[in-house]
Amino acid sequence: MQLQQHKTRRVLIAGALTAATVAGLAGCAGGGTGADGKTEITFSYLWGGAEAEALEQIIADFNESQDEIVVKGVSSPDQQKQLTSMSSSSGSFDISDNFGNNVGAWASKGVLAPLDGAIAAEGIDVDDFIPSAMDQMSYDGTTYALPIAIHSFQLLYNKTLLDEAGITPPTTMDELAAAAQKLTVVDSGKITQLGLGSANDSTTLTTLGFAFGGAWDGEDGPTPADAGNLEALDWYQENIVEPVGADALSTFVSGQGEYLSAQDPFFSGKVAMIIDGEWRAASAGKVAPELDWGVTAIPAASPDLENSTQVTASTLFIPANSKHKDEAAEFLAYLVSEEPMEKFSLALGNLPARVSLTGSDAYADLENFGVWAEAATSPNAQSLASAPYSAEYAADLKTAFDEVVRLTSTPEDAIATVESRMANYSQK
Amino acid sequence: MTVTTASSRIRQGARPAGSGGGRRPRRRRSTLIGLAFAAPFIVGFLFLFAYPIAASAYYSFTDFNLFQSPEWVGLDNYVQMFNDGVFWKSLANTAVLTVFGVPLSIGIALAGAHLLNTPVRGQPLYRALVYLPSIVPVVVGGYLWRWMLNAEYGFVNFFLSWFGIEGPAWLQNPDFTKPSIIFLSLWTVGGTMIIYLAALQEVPKELYEAAELDGAGIWRRFTNVTWPTVSPVTLFQVIVSIIGFLQIFAQPYIMAQERLNQASSGPGQSMLSYAMYLYQNAFVFLKMGYASAMAWTLFLVTLAVSLIVLATSKKWVHDGSD
Repeated sequence: MQLQQHKTRRVLIAGALTAATVAGLAGCAGGGTGADGKTEITFSYLWGGAEAEALEQIIADFNESQDEIVVKGVSSPDQQKQLTSMSSSSGSFDISDNFGNNVGAWASKGVLAPLDGAIAAEGIDVDDFIPSAMDQMSYDGTTYALPIAIHSFQLLYNKTLLDEAGITPPTTMDELAAAAQKLTVVDSGKITQLGLGSANDSTTLTTLGFAFGGAWDGEDGPTPADAGNLEALDWYQENIVEPVGADALSTFVSGQGEYLSAQDPFFSGKVAMIIDGEWRAASAGKVAPELDWGVTAIPAASPDLENSTQVTASTLFIPANSKHKDEAAEFLAYLVSEEPMEKFSLALGNLPARVSLTGSDAYADLENFGVWAEAATSPNAQSLASAPYSAEYAADLKTAFDEVVRLTSTPEDAIATVESRMANYSQK
Repeated sequence: MTVTTASSRIRQGARPAGSGGGRRPRRRRSTLIGLAFAAPFIVGFLFLFAYPIAASAYYSFTDFNLFQSPEWVGLDNYVQMFNDGVFWKSLANTAVLTVFGVPLSIGIALAGAHLLNTPVRGQPLYRALVYLPSIVPVVVGGYLWRWMLNAEYGFVNFFLSWFGIEGPAWLQNPDFTKPSIIFLSLWTVGGTMIIYLAALQEVPKELYEAAELDGAGIWRRFTNVTWPTVSPVTLFQVIVSIIGFLQIFAQPYIMAQERLNQASSGPGQSMLSYAMYLYQNAFVFLKMGYASAMAWTLFLVTLAVSLIVLATSKKWVHDGSD
């Protein structure tokens, strides 16, 4: 009898273990109705650290104002996790964030919930959002995401180094080329100071493509060989790389300190000019308060291209597998409303996605911030298309730009390789 | 021993109470209990291994983007792979890393094990020190080495400058990126070294003494005494290292990484390993069908290389019978 009990207990234990394993494997869906009757939704965001703290404060503000919804914030800076959650029938979050260039790829696969109905129901004024950012938010005529913060690229310069060289901030491409060469110092074949640096070759060169009147995407897909793009790459190779040589340049780049740290070459005065985004204003205040720097529009290749810049966007979206889309939409509407958006973008040192906020006094403490804000609303502000093939195209452009910068290929040949790969890009 | 006693006690105790059930039902019950206890593993194996393996084989013949139903495309993925320049580049990079990395890691581990086997003061400390990097997570080690290899601020070039050598741009010059990755892989060679150390301690001291009496030098003692003992361990290490290098991912991924969630491959795509390109196809480009085809190709390549090594092993591995 005792033995029988032993056996029964053992079978039960084993059964419980199996059940626990299966339950663990299956995972658990997020959200539900809490004990207080409020609907709980999960906001999984990629941010961490100080940005996550700012976001949690915004979540707390929302929760306090609510009788029906409670938002649980989860910092999960792992895009792969985000994707796997969205691939199941029941996901682990109801709202999340990403970047504008992913909207098309994800929307085309049906994993993002369409937002046009929610935008109308919540009365969100999309006309107030930066137009170039909104370009990335829709796919096939339907809106799938909304921007909470945007980014634009401008020319930063070290005032001290420019003054010492007797140079005023360049306004044309010729002036930029001349300034870059004059501000480059080479000692025994080694660059000790670079005239025009690059925080990221891909962004710098796609932005320069726009500044030369180029376009990276057209109605029918990628247009890497657009004349303006090739002109920009030729200009860069001829004026920035060739005068110093690819080897010296790569040695200099390899010796760069960590991006945005005190050893960042622009912050440490080793790069005189750089094309980069508005977050520089916030980080300069933290890590290089002594640096005397300015920011100006990227020189235009012709007068009609003045204030050309590239706009990228941090977006919010609701996954198609969310069980609480209406509640998530209500929270989304709150996040992109003026006050939370201002609070959030300020915490990150990013530009707000609303035109009405770009002139806000709240950003006055961020040095030179206004120049980026102004550029973002310029008619010459453009963004890369958000299409099913965006990630593959970006990777191929990156390889092509690398060849251009290392002088192993002419711009024409490097771009021809990209064109030859376009036939295999994802179409859905 | 305890187990035997306990089970026999159960058997003895079960006999008098077994009037209601014969031998067969009892055996069936025992089988059921066994299966029930094994169930977590069986369920885990079926869901986490068997199903994904079968699914990836199917996906490799489909156009699958992770979210929508896979669409049968036959051999298209395999055909595309053979026409994809980046695929070949990643395969060539991986081959270079394997060809140089495996002998180096085995050689260093074997040489290091000999040093660790030398009876010197502080021997346990040295053994602990060489093993220490193995317990540092590879991501942490990767970021540490990125900093160490910085051309301007890094310790490696600073160290080289003591000898009047101007260090290269390790992570920007395609000629030096692969040595950098191999460096990072060799950093954790302590684990292999410890296994070799255990093997070396198995060698009977009398054999060395006898060899020495016969006038055998260091090399002779190594080839005639040490090598026969450690060669089976070497076969194991060679196969494990080959598999490790053919699947190398974290080291080049961290070394090449510029921004999170972006496809990076280093200057001239010199750091793009096969596993990295596979990952990019699966999770960045969302081409799961193509990635599955790459995974199966890698499996077949690994199997072929391992079988070749095993086939040659008859010539150089001593199994103790001779």
